[in-house]
This record gives sequence, structure tokens and C-alpha cells, in this order.
Amino acid sequence: MDKDLYKNICEQSRFEVFYKKHSKNLHDFLYYKFGERLSPQDKTQEAFIKLWENCKKITPGKAKSYLYTTANNLMLNEVAHQKVVLKHTKIERTNYSNESPEFLMEEDEYRKKLEKAIANLTEPQRIAFLMNRTEGKRFKEIAEILDISTKAVEKRIYGALKKLRKEIDGI
Amino acid sequence: MEREVLIKKWLSNNLNSQEFQAFKQLEDFNELTRLNAALQDFKPQELESDIELERLNIALKTKSKKQNNWLKPFMRIAAILAICIGSYYYTTTLNTNIATEFAQKENIVLPDDSQVKLNAKSTLAFNKKSWEDARNLDLNGEAYFKVAKGSKFTVHTTAGNISVLGTEFNINNRNNLFEVICYEGSVKVEHNKTSRILKPGESFLILDNKLVERPKTDDTSPFWINNESSFKSMPYAQVIAEFERQYNVTFSVNNIDINEVFSGSFAHNNLDIALQAITIPLNLAYTKNNNKISLKRE
Repeated sequence: MDKDLYKNICEQSRFEVFYKKHSKNLHDFLYYKFGERLSPQDKTQEAFIKLWENCKKITPGKAKSYLYTTANNLMLNEVAHQKVVLKHTKIERTNYSNESPEFLMEEDEYRKKLEKAIANLTEPQRIAFLMNRTEGKRFKEIAEILDISTKAVEKRIYGALKKLRKEIDGI
Repeated sequence: MEREVLIKKWLSNNLNSQEFQAFKQLEDFNELTRLNAALQDFKPQELESDIELERLNIALKTKSKKQNNWLKPFMRIAAILAICIGSYYYTTTLNTNIATEFAQKENIVLPDDSQVKLNAKSTLAFNKKSWEDARNLDLNGEAYFKVAKGSKFTVHTTAGNISVLGTEFNINNRNNLFEVICYEGSVKVEHNKTSRILKPGESFLILDNKLVERPKTDDTSPFWINNESSFKSMPYAQVIAEFERQYNVTFSVNNIDINEVFSGSFAHNNLDIALQAITIPLNLAYTKNNNKISLKRE
């Protein structure tokens, strides 16, 4: 946890540093947790605006958890929680391939299976696992973001992997 | 068990080269790599931090404008200004008040060097700020004025207004008594609907709401400023009232006509001599008990 060098982060430059450090992680967290539909980008913005408005009341040590809680609440306020289905972001990639049709079909099928398998993960598993796999974050970093122990992160991620393997490859 | 450790290390990007070789030998190495490759497609669109920050800053600026953050310090300044202006206005329009107690006299020099002597148990009020525009005074009781030459000088009393340009005069405004004596220059007296201009030595006297004509006096100033009270054909009640004011005593009278006319004077510095001065001429006897004096016919 950062030491409280300052009383708050109301200073513009400090706020920007804080923004650069946390905005991407927050955005990704919101994306993995709630999917794309509720615009994690906008919720990230709103959470930072809320933080700025209340910056005098929040010590730097509390700012991160305030940010995540606020963003989370903003999401929850909008819609009752629904099952999240994460989609592939790159769909056009098949255009330039010269692979055989069977292979492409198989690829497509594999991705659909994967989508379904990810949707079937528990929410904590999904968040930790995708942060690890797609963002390349280490267990420790994820533990910091989520405010949980490294051991718990490891458990979630490994559990997620096992579950995916089981659904896709039947192991 | 070995397998699980390897996979966990792989997950946390912690494999060394030896372990990596071992990991490669795992039977499901291909499946894992394939899964990993496919997972990369689940990346969210990259958050463009710089553009987003710009957007945030704009949002914050417009928001803070709406929130009127600037209004707070402005309000503070406005409040301080209001208090300053208010207190300035209040203090400058506030009248200067001078009051005398029993047996006390006060000399006052007005802003234009006019002089006022205030007799016992009297009050005088005037405004320093507006003095240059209009020389106005409020008087309750008795005072002697030496007015410096200048614009109109007006004394407001409950019985009427006295206005002059530059002169010396005495005003005595007590219960049932309103007396103005001019000593120098000329004085204009307004009482109810009558108005009169007094020349030196002339006086204007209202006793019990009746105008009393009196001969000219040769005095150049009232007696009381020399610590003596002088009466010419005054009702005895007025004499007693003045005596009470000068000595801070109370009289009780038995069988005496307080409307009887008295001429004479008493000094302000010796109670016994003063008492004799107002009793002997009328053949009265007095007894003294602390501050209470009772008068009887001898």
C-alpha cells in the first residue's frame, strides 16, 4: 500500500499520476467482471470523477479501494447483475487466412466452446484468470488490485484453468 | 503434483529455462498453448489512457464550473466586505452621545470648535460624520452653547428647535419647563407653531405650556456654568427639581405650595448653605436624612 505522503490527491498532477496508474486496471477489471455491455470505459470515467469530487475526504491510501468500490457500485446500480458473456474482439482475422476450411471451422468451434467455458467460470475466477492470461499480470499484481492474498489469486486462476480444460478438452 | 507446480509457475510467468523444458514435456502442453493463444482474443479494447485522461479533465472542468467551486471563496470575500461596509456605515452614522449624571457637568467641544456646557442630568447627541453638512444636535436637559460662526446650527429638543448662525445661548428643557436665553448674536426659537427671534439678553420661557414674558437680562452667561443656580420668578417646584439634579438628593414637601414663585440662587458646592439659600427666603425649615430632605413650614 502506498504511504500517505499527502493528505489527499486533490492536486491535479497527483491525480493524473493516480489516474495513469489505475485507470487501465480498473477498466480491465470492470470489463472482465461485467462485460462490455455496460461500458466499462464510461464507468471508469465516472468513478474517477466521483473520486475527484470527494478527493478532500479520501486519503491516498483509501483512494484505490474507493475507486473500485465506486466503479463496482456504478455498474451494479445500472442493471441487475446478469450472466456475462465475453466475446472475441477480433472477428475479422479469418479474412486473410489461407487455412483449410476444416481447420477454420474447427477454430471457430473451439472459440465458441471457450466462450461458453469462460461464461461458466465463477466471477472471481474469471476476473483473476483473464487478468493473468490476457494482461499477463503476475499473481502478486492481481492480488494487489483485488485486495486479496496471492495464494487466493493462485487458487482462483488454477481453478479456472482446470475448469476450462475440463469443458474444452474433457480432462 | 509436479505437473500442477509447473502449470502454476507457467501461469505466473515464473518458469526458468529448465522448468520450461519440463513444462514442454507435459502431455497437454499443446492444449495449454492453444488455449492460451485463444484467450488472447478476449482482451478488451485497449484503454487509451491519454485520450481518456483528456476526456476526464474536460469533464471535471465543466463539472467544477457547474459546482461553483469558485463561488465559495467569492462568498467569503463578499461576506467580509459586507461586514466591513456594514460596520463602517454603522459606526459613521452612529451618533456621539454624551450624558451627565447627578451633580455632574461636562464641557464638550464640537467638531467645529463650538462649545457646549452640559448641566447635570442632561444628554446631548450629535453625528460627527454629518456635522460638516448640517450642525444638528439633540438635547435633553440643560446646556449652554457657544456657537462658532458658520452654517445653521440647530438644537432639537422635545419642546422645539432652536437654530442660530453663531452666538451664545442657554437652553433649559425640563419637565414643564422650556427656556432659551440668548447671550450674544441672535437665536431663532421654534416651539409648537410659534417662532421667535431672540436678541442678546432676551429670553423665551414656557412654563406649564404657557408663554411667560420676562424682562431683558444683563447677564453674559448663565449662572450654572459658574456653579450656581439662579432663579428669577420661578415656581418653587423647578427650584427643587434643579436642586435635586445638582446634589443628587430627593425632597419631600409638606404643606408647601410648590407653585409659589421664588427668586434667588444656590451654589453647587455646599449643601447646607445651598439649602439655607432656598429655604430661608420662604421661611421654610429643612431636615436632612442621608439623601432625603424634607421641607416644612416653620
